[in-house]
Amino acid sequence: MSLLTIITLAISIAVLVAAAVVLVLNPRLFLLIYRNLGRNFLRTSLTSVAIVVLVIMVTMIWTVVSFLDASTAEQSQNIKLIVTERWQLPSQMPSSHADYMDPEKPNAILPELKPYVGKDDFMTWSFYGGSTEKDPSKRTRDNLVFMFAMNPEHIRPMMDDLQDLDPKIIEQMQKDESLVLLGKERLEMMNMKVGDKFTLVSMNYKGIDLKFTVGPVLPGNRYNLMGIMNANYFNRGFDTYRTENKNQPHPLENRRLNLIWLRVRDKDAVAKVGGIIENSPTFSDRPLKCETASSGIAAFLDAYRDLLFGMKWLLVPAILISMTLVISNAIAITVRERRTEMAVLKVLGFRPLQILVMVLGEAVLVGGLSGFIATLGSIAIINWVFGGIPFPIAFFPAFTVPLDALAWGFAIGAGTGLLGSCLPAWTARSVKVSEVFAKVA
Amino acid sequence: MSADPIVRIRGVHKFFTRGSEQIDVLNDLNLEVPEGEFLGLMGPSGSGKTTLLNLIAGLDRPSEGEVWIGNSCVSKMSEAQLARWRTRNIGFIFQFYHLLPVLTAFENVELPLILLPLSKAERHQQVMTALDLVGLSDRLSHRPGQLSGGQQQRVGIARAIVTDPTLIVADEPTGDLDSRSATEILDLLGELQKSLHKTILLVTHDPRAAERASRILHLHKGQLVEAGADGVKTSIRAELPSGALPGTPDTAIRAEQR
Repeated sequence: MSLLTIITLAISIAVLVAAAVVLVLNPRLFLLIYRNLGRNFLRTSLTSVAIVVLVIMVTMIWTVVSFLDASTAEQSQNIKLIVTERWQLPSQMPSSHADYMDPEKPNAILPELKPYVGKDDFMTWSFYGGSTEKDPSKRTRDNLVFMFAMNPEHIRPMMDDLQDLDPKIIEQMQKDESLVLLGKERLEMMNMKVGDKFTLVSMNYKGIDLKFTVGPVLPGNRYNLMGIMNANYFNRGFDTYRTENKNQPHPLENRRLNLIWLRVRDKDAVAKVGGIIENSPTFSDRPLKCETASSGIAAFLDAYRDLLFGMKWLLVPAILISMTLVISNAIAITVRERRTEMAVLKVLGFRPLQILVMVLGEAVLVGGLSGFIATLGSIAIINWVFGGIPFPIAFFPAFTVPLDALAWGFAIGAGTGLLGSCLPAWTARSVKVSEVFAKVA
Repeated sequence: MSADPIVRIRGVHKFFTRGSEQIDVLNDLNLEVPEGEFLGLMGPSGSGKTTLLNLIAGLDRPSEGEVWIGNSCVSKMSEAQLARWRTRNIGFIFQFYHLLPVLTAFENVELPLILLPLSKAERHQQVMTALDLVGLSDRLSHRPGQLSGGQQQRVGIARAIVTDPTLIVADEPTGDLDSRSATEILDLLGELQKSLHKTILLVTHDPRAAERASRILHLHKGQLVEAGADGVKTSIRAELPSGALPGTPDTAIRAEQR
């Protein structure tokens, strides 16, 4: 759970406990708070709508920012490492590099790595991209497909968000090597469904055009625009190329490996494995570097640093201040209108604290409820209808609003309500009965 | 009607400050109201009637002097103490009713009771008793907007008596009503005073309302004057009999003929 979620959850719980105390100790006061909000339905509705809109904006920003923060935060256990070429981007390594790190190849793996890398802690990626359209002038975003070529057995243990993929799908991919798993949005863009067949004219491995069968859809939103294919099928493409080209190897035959993933136990293991790989004479001709996944992502995000800073520390505070002012204005108006009523309540015996609680309660109720509705709506509409926030940053296709946002929304609404209503509540609490009725009488 | 005074005011001065100017409203005012009395308070606008009412109801503090209601010196209580004290001891009836428009008649009358440690059933019973007394038990779920002026004032009276207060204070209760409704309200107040032996303090401009009172006092230049049977107004000033206020020295009443 992120720090943001912990703080907002703590605020939400505190507010709910306070509300429960008021409800239990004095349900009629709670009724008065609730009824007062219905006094001017138009004003309450407009205030609520404003809060909903502003909370949705904050939710969207925090969704992106908190996901990126989580992605770039260093883990302390089960840390993923990315192995790439030190001096080339993108990496184009020979396949043999992977053998030196593959625990399934005990005769090839570097002996020093054996204690650190288990059977399910290894994965390789080759990037295969192409178009269903042969004519380059007709290629569009809709008919371009980008895929990870990998060993299907590594999908469940190593791919984020695919740990629960049905094992039968892996079996299908091994049985039919041309089977490809595509994201939902990619399938829609290609106007295809499960079972359809298509041919990709490769753009990064010219001459290696492959036929595919559409397999089950990749779950979730993370891989919406991508695909996963069987590395064996990818590698056989190079063999076919040789056969068709008088035994001439493809120009990229020895440069088809783009990324190697390893997972190690802890930070000590990261340092040791990194040292082994980077200093090994085995890779002296194509030096490698080893970094954690989070630092790799952070490097990618460096170009967006100022944008993310502005979103997090300028835009969000500005929105929160706006919300506070909106609520403050609405509550101040309602307190001004009810000055005589506050005086009457004092005459009846209401203490200043009770009047303060009443006004604060109105603001917290309308703010908290509106905030909660905003984030509930965000989760439903952004995630289920739109499939996430399509913020084109780095290689992330879309960001889904986490369930944590329910706490964010309530806390933002209730918190800004509480803050914004402090001054009007104090004014209400300080109403002098003698002054009010001097004018009335 | 008991002879023990329920309201005792001694040497009260009240002034307001407007910038550098001091405006004297009440000047060395003294008053005793026996328990069960229906006292009428009259005076021109700006004479200080509402100010005096506010002092008695604990809504304001005198600049000098003491205000005792029963055994409580309200002029020395803190704001929080006064609020608690008012709930049990003062029933206030306003000229413009001042019912909460978002609450029903029942809920408006119940409002003072939510500040007391009563169960829901107890509150319900007290509210129904109060509404029965004012003849509005068939209007429980009506909001003020659905009631006539006279009915709203009845609800106001029910709210004032629901806590069985020591003193009922009415500030121009008929000021916003037509003649017929005003008569009904005054009849009701009279009935409450007789049947429940309530002490009622009525501020009014209306001579017909004042006639219902057993004693009428006029506020004039910050002092109270009493109209005698011959129409002569007698100023009520200075000393009170021995034991009138706890800890006060022996003194005698003096009256001035005007």
